[in-house]
Amino acid sequence: MELLRPSSLDDLNGGLMIHGGTEVVPLLRDGILKADTLVDIRGIVPRGVKGNRIGVGTTLAELEGSTAIPEALREACRLAASPQLRNMSSIGGNLLQSTRCWYWRLKYPCHLHGGDRCHAREGEHREHAIFANDYCASAHPSDVAAALLALDARLHTTKRELPIADLYRLPDEADRHVTTLEPGEVILELELPAVEASVYLKAMDRQRWAFPQVGVAAARVAGEVRLGLAGVAPIPWLLTGPEALDAATPLPRTAWKVDVARALVRRALDRL
Amino acid sequence: MPELSLTVNEHRYEVEAPIEMSLAHVLREVVGLTGTKIACNEGHCGACTVQVDGMPTLSCITLAHTVSGEITTIEGLRDHPLIDAFVRADAVQCGFCTPGQVVSAAALVAANPSPTIDDIRHTMAGNICRCGTYPRIEEAILHWRD
Amino acid sequence: MARLIRTEKEVEGRFEEVWLVVEEDPLTQWPDGPLSVVGRDALRQDALERVRGEARFTADIQLPGMLHTAVLRSPHAHARVKKIDLAPALALPGVHAALAPGDAKGLEGEPGYCGAAVAAVAADTFGQARRAVAAIAVEWEVLEAVLDPHEAVRREQFTMPSSTYERGDFAKALESADVVIESTYRTSVVLHNSMETHQSVCEWVGDTLNVYISTQYIWGVRSAVAAELGIPGDKVRVVCEYMGGGFGSKNDPGEYTFVAAELAKRTGRPVRCALTRREENTAAGNRNLTIQKLTVGARSDGTIIALGGEFINGVGWSGWSAMTDGPMQMLYACDNVRTVRHGAKINMPPMKAFRAPGFVEGTFGLECLIDELAVKLELDPLELRRKNYANANDDTPYSSKNLMECYDLARKHWDRRDEVRARSTGTWKHGVGMASQIWFGGGGPPSYAWTRVSSDGRVTVVTAMQDIGTGTRTAMAQIAAEELGVSLDRVTVVLGDSARGPYATLSAGSSTTPSVGPAVRAAAADAKRQIIEIAAQRYDVEEHVLDIKDDVLTSADGNVSTTLEQLLEILENSQILGKGGRGPNPAGMSVLTFGVQVVEVAVDVETGEVRVERVAAAHDVGRIINSLGARSQVEGGIIQGIGHTLFEQRLHDPETGRILTTSLDAYRMPTIADIPEIVCEFVDKPDAHLTNLGSKGLGEPPIVPLAAAVANAIRDATGADVHELPITREEMLRALEAAKKKERRGAPAAV
Ligand SMILES: Cc1cc2nc3c(=O)[nH]c(=O)nc-3n(C[C@H](O)[C@H](O)[C@H](O)COP(=O)(O)OP(=O)(O)OC[C@H]3O[C@@H](n4cnc5c(N)ncnc54)[C@H](O)[C@@H]3O)c2cc1C
Ligand code: SF4
Ligand code: FES
Ligand code: FES
Repeated sequence: MELLRPSSLDDLNGGLMIHGGTEVVPLLRDGILKADTLVDIRGIVPRGVKGNRIGVGTTLAELEGSTAIPEALREACRLAASPQLRNMSSIGGNLLQSTRCWYWRLKYPCHLHGGDRCHAREGEHREHAIFANDYCASAHPSDVAAALLALDARLHTTKRELPIADLYRLPDEADRHVTTLEPGEVILELELPAVEASVYLKAMDRQRWAFPQVGVAAARVAGEVRLGLAGVAPIPWLLTGPEALDAATPLPRTAWKVDVARALVRRALDRL
Repeated sequence: MPELSLTVNEHRYEVEAPIEMSLAHVLREVVGLTGTKIACNEGHCGACTVQVDGMPTLSCITLAHTVSGEITTIEGLRDHPLIDAFVRADAVQCGFCTPGQVVSAAALVAANPSPTIDDIRHTMAGNICRCGTYPRIEEAILHWRD
Repeated sequence: MARLIRTEKEVEGRFEEVWLVVEEDPLTQWPDGPLSVVGRDALRQDALERVRGEARFTADIQLPGMLHTAVLRSPHAHARVKKIDLAPALALPGVHAALAPGDAKGLEGEPGYCGAAVAAVAADTFGQARRAVAAIAVEWEVLEAVLDPHEAVRREQFTMPSSTYERGDFAKALESADVVIESTYRTSVVLHNSMETHQSVCEWVGDTLNVYISTQYIWGVRSAVAAELGIPGDKVRVVCEYMGGGFGSKNDPGEYTFVAAELAKRTGRPVRCALTRREENTAAGNRNLTIQKLTVGARSDGTIIALGGEFINGVGWSGWSAMTDGPMQMLYACDNVRTVRHGAKINMPPMKAFRAPGFVEGTFGLECLIDELAVKLELDPLELRRKNYANANDDTPYSSKNLMECYDLARKHWDRRDEVRARSTGTWKHGVGMASQIWFGGGGPPSYAWTRVSSDGRVTVVTAMQDIGTGTRTAMAQIAAEELGVSLDRVTVVLGDSARGPYATLSAGSSTTPSVGPAVRAAAADAKRQIIEIAAQRYDVEEHVLDIKDDVLTSADGNVSTTLEQLLEILENSQILGKGGRGPNPAGMSVLTFGVQVVEVAVDVETGEVRVERVAAAHDVGRIINSLGARSQVEGGIIQGIGHTLFEQRLHDPETGRILTTSLDAYRMPTIADIPEIVCEFVDKPDAHLTNLGSKGLGEPPIVPLAAAVANAIRDATGADVHELPITREEMLRALEAAKKKERRGAPAAV
């Protein structure tokens, strides 16, 4: 294996990008990711908060202490992962983290790995999805993405500019990817609109250092209230309103998440 | 094998290690500093915590070749007042998690010499102690300068 | 004098009739209460090296030329190896040797669970070994697997015969009861997850095998390895100076030691075999699941007249069926008790002892049931417990029992109920619950210790025990210091090496201090006797007027007063040697530990979040040796208990039996952010019948009542009856919903 450290975006030419490596390193070790060339992109991806723009090389630790960003994002970063992981984790990498579905992590040949069934649906799925779970029932683990979704953030990449919602797609038979990122495309910056108010509430097993069971971000942006949820669907989930929870399609062992989501959504809206 | 130069506890080490080798592995088996422990080897427990430029970092999921900053391990903190504070507070049972706890705590008190209990709980939550020495760790950090 | 006795020996709640050679125990116990060194706070003797990262664990042992092992594990819950080809593995770079099923104990040709060891490879690096293992070609014949414990019971597939216990006439008593409550409780599989995984390094030196191993029982490893390899025990040297936690899971050598020993033999090199964290969570043992169908019948005044239970332990492919029924048989005075306990043999990883096995699970069921009874009878749960206080263990008297004193200590915490409940606001409901604790912990013979006193008046205690993190090194030093009348900093304890020092028992079953402690005291007393004999001759006084205190030897009349150094100078490099053994347990008595915990919780009734806010623990474990270390043990037990009460749960794929929660992001143990305020009190009264110390063990008692106390506090806060561990949000919301339904049907939900 070789490691490249390009000093400008122009030097990029294939290989697996690594920033903090919190996802890349364990997945490489498990053989879920494979690469002959690793590209350390820390030198070429912007880092830091400038006005309404956040370089995606900024770490979650830096963001949890930043007063320059909306509360929902700060809180999502503060409650994510563990302190050491937050020191290492870039916000860009966070958006691209893979599912925590145990079947997927243990390399079951499931839909998301290109196989022909979802093991979680018939198997152990108490931490899985309540929306859009018929093909893949995984629950998206990013607190940060849920917050950014509620905040209606836009992404700037080497190829395009897009609302964060468009970064994600539901996997299907034809395409098992959960993001729309193209090979070689690098995310560079996040852009936030003017946010009037925002909150992030997270239900987790422990008080700290756990993935969201249900995470609810609420934001008022240009007079409009937006709700972004973590842990409820294979991708960060935009909820049109509290009543949309009535349309949830929980699995037998995820019905409890609907109750939790209902309570958190109500509270988040109250606090706005 | 690719060469690599590391600064550990203010000493420079020139070593050879494959790209995929973790910092924890290099420290323990190449450099020979075994104070840093590996308990999960996948970023979940904090036993392998070292500081990189003062930041608590999980050395088991850090590729050694990607580290350019200064590394501080427990061996570099052996005279830190926290050591005595941990001993006094009985903040150690089996001791396998403890070096990692001290490394995290040292970064905490460097940034915030008078942490509150909430600060401690927030900042030390990435270091699992199966023996359950947490109340003692809290006490050790609260009184680290005494 | 050595004496041969036939006695019942208890380890982790398992009894065996054995012959034992025991030493007389002629020493009288010390007076009650804290002494000069014993009963006071003592800093850990080995704290500094552990905190500074200098302590060398098995994981840190690096021997020249050492090879690393990877193990091939069964992908099936039950299968037979029809054909196995090691050649592709052996052909890979760095590989030195490979083992097939049968080549080492524990490598199975017919694995009975997913994750069972099948084959192994030794290579220069672990990565090479892992790649080689992946290259081994196996042809499997998949066999039928039974994963469901109920199915195993239906088929009468057990790991050991079911056990039935009856006293009085349960059925008849139940008929005459004023109230009867039946409830089913379940507890989940939980994992020890010691921070240092199971591992050993084996090295042949001549015809001797050196085994460096993370273990709770160096002598058990020594005899098991010697027996397996067919070599004399003294040709196996077992070393464990520091170990990174065991909690009951490291009492035997495990397949990794046999594998390392065999590979070391074949390669002529030292070999490490260490479980990865994921293997640890699959194949290193667990606290098995239980299903408990419990019944209590009582008079309206609260007198319990009938207790019955059917207990299923989902033991796994092997292992024993722990005493889940123990608390029901032992905790209360009830004339009519009937229990049946099955140990279901299922195609899942085997159980291993885990801090008070059986009693943790059984106490959860029983103590929740008792509280449900209190609600029904509208009685105070503490009063109900006091009312049914047992004064004998069935018919056997206790060597000592101070549970009533524990209840007295708990009173002030219990009396906080109104204040705590009044804290409820909005969706957060607060409440208080309690549960009692009963468990073994008396230890037993044999165990031995030696002491060496040098000319500088310093003392070395030598005993081949192990300190698994519980602070036994320190406790042993305190005991020797107390007996010899020297200050604690003069005492060093050498342990952890079967070639250095006499036999000492395992560090499990809360047995270390009560087993080895008396031997250490006896060895110190033996040395002290000799010192006094020497002094009597030197100063020409009678022995009985001499004593040592604060490092000074004095005579009663004050005419002799000399420091130990001055007295012992004449020894130069020679030493005074003392030896001591553990005396027998009191015949015809039950040696047990007791306690009670009072827990305060907060429950968010909308999201099902449960927070344990305060735990007050009062335990009776006889004499306390190290008050500081004892508090740490209690805190540790409570914190581990919070784990299995609130979130720890091993999950498996129902189709394949494969463990899914193999990593610590999915198997979630408490962090520092989850801990409550912990208040810890001891009765601290020596057990007058038990050894020269009167001390019992404390490693396990604190974890026993926690879960039930939390569940009872939840009931107090919300009226919801929790029936399952862990109390996840799912279980909490279910219980709240059931309570609402009950309320709608007219029964009062909350007390
Ligand atoms: C144990 C654990 C617990 C966690 N808990 C939480 C949690 O509770 N909540 C939460 O929200 N998150 C959680 N995370 C996720 C964590 O925040 C992410 O792993 C981290 O942010 C990833 O950032 P990184 O820099 O380490 O990414 P890397 O591991 O370096 O990269 C991750 C992926 O993103 C790609 N990538 C990285 N940067 C870019 C870029 N700029 N452009 C294009 N592709 C890029 C990489 O190629 C790779 O595929 C957890 C992670 C771990 C390992
Ligand atoms: S939930 Fe998705 S990732 Fe998990 S098994 Fe099903 S398809 Fe695979
Ligand atoms: S060993 Fe690195 S986090 Fe566990
Ligand atoms: S002291 Fe044993 S794990 Fe922390």
